[in-house]
Amino acid sequence: MKLEQVLKLQSYLDGEMPERERRDVAGWLDREPQARALFAELKTAREALTGNEPAPALPESREFYWSKIEREIARLEREPARAPRANLLAWLRRLLVPTAGVALLVLAASVFIWPSGAGRGAGAFESSMRDTGATTYRDHANGVTLVWLSYPATDHEVDYEAPPRATR
Amino acid sequence: MRANRNHSAADEPSLVKWSQRGDMLAFEELVARHRDKIYARAFTMMRNEEEALDLSQEAWIKGWQRLKQFQGDSSFGTWMTRIVINLCLDALRKRKRQMAESIEEMAEESGGVERHMPIEMGNPTAGLEREDLREKINEAFKHLSDAHRTVLILHEFDGLEYKQIAKVMKCSIGTVMSRLFYARRRMAALMTRWKREQEL
Amino acid sequence: MSTCVWHRIALLLLAVVSLLSLAGTIAAKEIKLEAQLVWGTNDEKTDNAELKPVTAEVEKRLKSLPFKWQHYFEVKRKQFTVQHAKTQRINLSKDCVIEVKNLENDQVEVTLLGKGEVVGRIKQKLPDGETLVLGGNAANFTGWFVVLRPVK
Repeated sequence: MKLEQVLKLQSYLDGEMPERERRDVAGWLDREPQARALFAELKTAREALTGNEPAPALPESREFYWSKIEREIARLEREPARAPRANLLAWLRRLLVPTAGVALLVLAASVFIWPSGAGRGAGAFESSMRDTGATTYRDHANGVTLVWLSYPATDHEVDYEAPPRATR
Repeated sequence: MRANRNHSAADEPSLVKWSQRGDMLAFEELVARHRDKIYARAFTMMRNEEEALDLSQEAWIKGWQRLKQFQGDSSFGTWMTRIVINLCLDALRKRKRQMAESIEEMAEESGGVERHMPIEMGNPTAGLEREDLREKINEAFKHLSDAHRTVLILHEFDGLEYKQIAKVMKCSIGTVMSRLFYARRRMAALMTRWKREQEL
Repeated sequence: MSTCVWHRIALLLLAVVSLLSLAGTIAAKEIKLEAQLVWGTNDEKTDNAELKPVTAEVEKRLKSLPFKWQHYFEVKRKQFTVQHAKTQRINLSKDCVIEVKNLENDQVEVTLLGKGEVVGRIKQKLPDGETLVLGGNAANFTGWFVVLRPVK
């Protein structure tokens, strides 16, 4: 199933679809067992979550939790408004001279220690083959990055249902 | 007179009205009534106790400062929830800028590996007590990225529509739909796997 | 403070930065990695006696990914060290080779070769605790994986 199709299924489930399109999707569900199975899975996931937001206990007592809020509110209400800068020229002088020093420092850093060829982030996949169909996936909890390749090329899509056991 | 008010027995509209007029005790009562929910929402989004505490308290401080803007269009609890959600989203964006950039955006654009995941048959949560189910959901959230978890929270717990979520998360509706699809499939796969492991 | 003093401070900082960059270049470190070629299948046992189940740690990481396979077997495992700015070539099987180049700041560039042809190239940060998995479908509805992670 294409991404566009499965997202239509989801929109249908979530009631985010115009009536005309709903009839088309309903017809598709009648005809396609895979679509029905995927719809059931999405529906089950949605129903499991509804009304079951995790409710971790606040790890502080009422008094302690409130005291921090109260103190901060009182502090903010006591803070005076900042006085306007009287002498713009003096202010500019105070700002520009150290800024010139910082700019010189940054220039030096960019020449000597800026890493070359550093990637923009955790990983960037480049492929030398045209249209490899590579997809990436990240599991943050376990620190795993997966790059899934369509290599070697197969003449079948990965089946949704568990494959039959290979005969030996 | 303020000293004679029974804040703990007062209804919410009264507490809000008194708070808007500067009654700190009334506001304290509002905090007491909603703090667990606001903290829980911050924790579910941030997955970090310290950050959740800080952000939930910051939300209360902002709530006090903006009280006069509360018109009663929604319930007070919903209004406060929106404040904490926005604070959490800002914090998550800041966190994302500081960390190495996630490559999940590539996966979202290409359709991702979730289309190839096998369909999980049956209901892996059937028979679970509510507390057990909540624990499992909490555990599953650890395996989702910030973006996927957030879209699930906003859609399933807050009942926001796709376009509302897109506005809050500052992304396209298509991205919201892809993230929601992925997050649901991932939840289903995790729940099924854990159920299978339990049965062994 | 006078302008003259700020200029002197800037020059001093410039000197410090230059020294630090030199020290940084000298201290650029080698990276020690482990690469495994892994086969994923739903069969509990294999006919090939040389294949052993992967370690519990690797199994946990592969099972955290959204695959249908129940069992993972180690085809080959190699530990190797790559010096800074150098490349190591690792033969994992007659058809599967990876070339790993040590870039800076825990970043590596991994080139995957299948039957002598470049299949793809990825740049990835691999600090302690991180794992990179390259994978694809194999015959008979099984899967192949190259699991790369830093080791001490």
